[in-house]
Amino acid sequence: MIENMLVMNKKNLLVTVCAALSLTAVVSSCGDKTTRSTGWEFSRNMYDPIAYNPDQPNENFKNKQTAQTPPKGTDPIGFTRFEYANTLEDYERAGREFTNPLEVSQARLEKGQALFTTYCAVCHGPEGKGDGSITKDREITDSKGTRKLENFPNPPSYHKTDGASSSRGGMMADLTDGKIYHTIYYGHNSMGSHASQLSPEERWEVVMYVHELQKK
Amino acid sequence: MRNISSVLGKLARVVSMSLVLLFAVATLHAQDVKEGEKIFKAKCTSCHKVDRKVVGPALKGITETKSEEWLIKWIKNSQALIASGDKDAIAIFEEYNKSVMTSFTDLSDDQIRSVLAYIKAESVEKPKDATNPGETAKDDNANLFMIFGLLGIVVLAIVVIVVLNRVIRTLERVIATNQAAVEAEEEPKTSKKFLAFAQGFVKNKKLVGFAVLMLVALLAVGGWKTMWNVGVHTGYQPVQPIKFSHQLHAGINKIECQYCHGGAFKSKNASIPSANVCMNCHNTITGSEHYDGETSPEIAKIYRALDWNPETRTYGNNPKPIQWVRIHNLPDFAYFNHSQHVTVAGVECQTCHGPIETMEEVYQYSPLTMKWCVDCHKATDVKSDNKYYEDLIKAHESIKKGEKMTAAMIGGLECGKCHY
Repeated sequence: MIENMLVMNKKNLLVTVCAALSLTAVVSSCGDKTTRSTGWEFSRNMYDPIAYNPDQPNENFKNKQTAQTPPKGTDPIGFTRFEYANTLEDYERAGREFTNPLEVSQARLEKGQALFTTYCAVCHGPEGKGDGSITKDREITDSKGTRKLENFPNPPSYHKTDGASSSRGGMMADLTDGKIYHTIYYGHNSMGSHASQLSPEERWEVVMYVHELQKK
Repeated sequence: MRNISSVLGKLARVVSMSLVLLFAVATLHAQDVKEGEKIFKAKCTSCHKVDRKVVGPALKGITETKSEEWLIKWIKNSQALIASGDKDAIAIFEEYNKSVMTSFTDLSDDQIRSVLAYIKAESVEKPKDATNPGETAKDDNANLFMIFGLLGIVVLAIVVIVVLNRVIRTLERVIATNQAAVEAEEEPKTSKKFLAFAQGFVKNKKLVGFAVLMLVALLAVGGWKTMWNVGVHTGYQPVQPIKFSHQLHAGINKIECQYCHGGAFKSKNASIPSANVCMNCHNTITGSEHYDGETSPEIAKIYRALDWNPETRTYGNNPKPIQWVRIHNLPDFAYFNHSQHVTVAGVECQTCHGPIETMEEVYQYSPLTMKWCVDCHKATDVKSDNKYYEDLIKAHESIKKGEKMTAAMIGGLECGKCHY
């Protein structure tokens, strides 16, 4: 009887040891000490909106998105259309005839500077010298280890004293209202379009501030 | 003898002269490359890379396929070259959708030659790989270490099993010799002992009462704590479809929060940026330095979402939205407006979202409970230098004067006042 039990114990012991070892191996490799769930919730339906959120999936539409792009050829109310195409000719034309409707004021310039700092300075630098934070050598240490980050190409400086030339002719310091607006709207070379991030009024405030930088 | 020495002297002079000349040429060449690099980085990198097509073509090996004379003409004034009817020039102009390259009339022929020398030097397979083997070797070392570690564990496990087997066998023998004694005396004794203890415990009513009290208190504390955390998502850190690192973008790159989350300053929602905002940088930045010239797999997900072809640099017409997982979720019955807090009150993003610029993977920092909101509202001074308070004061004054005021005059006709 006891002999039998011991034989069983021996087997059990072996099985238990093996199971425990493999379990610790699996568990220790799986857990990354982060909370992947929201935890217990009470009445989840009170959290979920009745109306669709703009960024929610939506079965009612063909592309399954709630936020739809406006149909072609339509404008939202209060929307002003930019009547120049993304061509060199229209860039020059905008440069000749499209001018800032806003009056220069200290408040506008301050807003322009704030917008420039947020949307432009990352590449163009806080002073418009083309030395923004992402054009400089950077290094990061994270879960992938320490590594260098790719530098974004330096844009040309706006400053008169730097005498940088624009890729579409002329000097950067001589860019006119319409040309700067055209570039914010469509982007050029490595610069992308910032039309979705800046309203027409904000674009003009940025243009106003860029003119200040050109004087340097 | 004399003759020989003079000949030798001449020879020595010639050799030393030529050595000096050679050295001079070599240094001159090096200077060319260095000067070329300087000019290239100042004037060319906004559109060109040596090893990859960006806005303009990749320049690797350009000095082999095009003549120096042609290149100088093109760089000085590409439009003039195209106008002159040069076939190569027209072909390139057409290939790049008639985008005009800047004319560099300010560069001298020699300066352009230096740039070309730099491009030529860069086109040759760089000894950069010399650093890579070191890294891979390090990786190999790490792998070897892992393999040996695992082998060690296996060996250890076998040793443990063998030892345990031995122990069991000796124990068996010992037990076999003492079988009778052990069976007769030990076992009943322990069970009897336990039975006696249990009986004593049950009979002692004070002890039973105390144990029950402890159990109830334990359950109550546990239950209370759990209940308070129901629906509170602090620390929630879901896996996102793209491993976007705020530490990298907001922390190291110093991109302002508003650049991507402009909605926080203008509307109720902080807004998740649409992928075109990502492309403002990632049309150029592919992270390929760390992936052997291939696009980083995470950045490739943006390209897939937008159906962007990095080779031809064009968008297809089959975009698929990126399904980010929402972290911060207020119940639908609570109204929260970002612009009210960020633009009007001037609250920093970090006040509620924590050290977001150090988070490689975002988690919910604040509990977003009602108590949390109320505590802050009790402690914060109102900023009254805005249009809302101006209008309020104006309304009060006109009421004091006894002027007529309708609901419509104080915003009663706004759609949102009635319609949800």
